[in-house]
Amino acid sequence: MSQNPRFTRARQLTSTVLPGRRPDDYPDQVTGRLRKLAAARGTGTLPFSGGSDGVVYFRDGKVAYAESNRTPGPAPRAYPEPAQDLPPLSRITAILAITEPTVDAALELLSAQSRYARFRPSKVPATGPASDISVEALLAEVARRQRVLKQLSAVLTADTALARNPQIHPESIRVSALQWSLLIRVRHGTTPRDLAWNLSRGVFGTTVEVHRLLVRRLLSVAGDPPGAVGRAGASAAAMSFVRAVSVEKGEAVPNFNAEVAPGGAG
Amino acid sequence: MILDEAEALLDPVSDIDGFMLACLVDASTGMVLASRKDQDDISLPTAAAGAADIANVLSLLAGQLPVDGLEDVMVTFRRQLYMIRLVREDPEPPILLLVILDRSRVNLAMARREIRNFCASFAA
Repeated sequence: MSQNPRFTRARQLTSTVLPGRRPDDYPDQVTGRLRKLAAARGTGTLPFSGGSDGVVYFRDGKVAYAESNRTPGPAPRAYPEPAQDLPPLSRITAILAITEPTVDAALELLSAQSRYARFRPSKVPATGPASDISVEALLAEVARRQRVLKQLSAVLTADTALARNPQIHPESIRVSALQWSLLIRVRHGTTPRDLAWNLSRGVFGTTVEVHRLLVRRLLSVAGDPPGAVGRAGASAAAMSFVRAVSVEKGEAVPNFNAEVAPGGAG
Repeated sequence: MILDEAEALLDPVSDIDGFMLACLVDASTGMVLASRKDQDDISLPTAAAGAADIANVLSLLAGQLPVDGLEDVMVTFRRQLYMIRLVREDPEPPILLLVILDRSRVNLAMARREIRNFCASFAA
């Protein structure tokens, strides 16, 4: 008799691909499901399990919130007061404090090809001043972030072990407050995902920021010589948001934003 | 664009003579937060991504040279003017304002002043 707990066995089953479905159909399947819920103006939860466990909360066909067990949720101070009472920039920051973890979790769930379960109509938890995101905007943003991560993948991923460059003199470093807070938290083997959890920041944004520190040779990939920018060489170290929204010759475009033409309105 | 309701916040910028496009971008992730545009022939994602890339390159430069924080950047094309201004750097996240203006209709000094005033009032 199997020693696996029932929950683990259930997860193993849901993570398998059903007969007649190919793994590369996943983007079409999940985007189709999300678009159906948007069209039906559904309110409730869509649970995911498998590569990453989590939930996408829908409110009237829009994504109100998403969470994943591999990304930190919103910081505890995320929404201290009603957004309407705040100045414009603080209002945007307050909304972003919910929106960024939502996009971060959706990126994780869709990139890990987690399987979705049955949609359950239910109340959506209060998310303060959060602005609900249309499914199309979310899918376009997820696809853009996947292309950025693909650029970075030659050098690092969210789970690459890091090391601080021991030859750097702290007094000569000119970095932003965020970069400093990342630098001082890096121990040998720390990953960008560890840092994101440590700071309650998005995993994607933290990975991009860590890449900038790699380019500046303040960090290196654990096992590489100090100051090296990955094993793939300098050309692989270049990251460009413009390239992430452009289609290059021969490049496969993820299907998550199939209805948004590359370079078109986001 | 992620934050639909933030679009109205950009109304004052759209009153600038020669206005073509404005957007708010999270410089750390490159995500477009809000946008307004008068012309369809400009690709918003590409323009916003370019603004974030420029700000990132300049922050690399600032890490090597004795200069203080980035304030704004002006890129002059033959027919358009791109103005990128850091609305807020600290605390996180750094948010950029990109405004694209028609060079044949813009008063550069006035536009720069209006953008600066907008960012000041925006953050107040």
